[in-house]
Amino acid sequence: MTPFHPGDRVQVRPAEKPGHVRAPDYLKGRSGWISCVLGHFPNPEDVAYGLSGMPEKTLYRVSFRQSNLWDGYEGPDGDRLYADVYEHWLEPEGER
Amino acid sequence: MSGVHDIGGSSGGPIDRSQHDVEDWERLADAINSALGGKGLQTTDQHRRAIESLPNYRDLGYYERWTAATEKLLIENGILTQAEIDEKASEIERRWGGS
Repeated sequence: MTPFHPGDRVQVRPAEKPGHVRAPDYLKGRSGWISCVLGHFPNPEDVAYGLSGMPEKTLYRVSFRQSNLWDGYEGPDGDRLYADVYEHWLEPEGER
Repeated sequence: MSGVHDIGGSSGGPIDRSQHDVEDWERLADAINSALGGKGLQTTDQHRRAIESLPNYRDLGYYERWTAATEKLLIENGILTQAEIDEKASEIERRWGGS
């Protein structure tokens, strides 16, 4: 999987996956920017089922415009929401 | 469809702020979980997932969720069978039923 870099535009995959999912539903299909790389960790979605979670997945902090997430958001335009999202839930914006 | 761990951004309704003293069985539930974890028979990640996938999650109290999830994991991990757990539960019920 292509690694992302700070500043890259990304989109959270609008996928439905059964089980213990770690991408918040309210972010699916939404676009944001890579804020930073948090590190590499066993995949928690597999660890939750007693598996090793290997190979490790890259965890990114992603920045979203609040006004892009909530209908009728009335806060300042610069408001951001930061969420930690694993690589397998991200794709380059515009890929779909 | 998102699970009970994934309700961010949706309206949660009023918060129940009532408190109660910790009961003996709740301490026991906590201790059993620590022991199972200490012996490598279940992990916190598994337990959390089992709690969040309980179909009756919203009807249960905190430690009721813990014990229901522990039961599920003990069966899933092949440590006890449902029949063994049910048999023991019936035995305890008879003993405590006093009749």
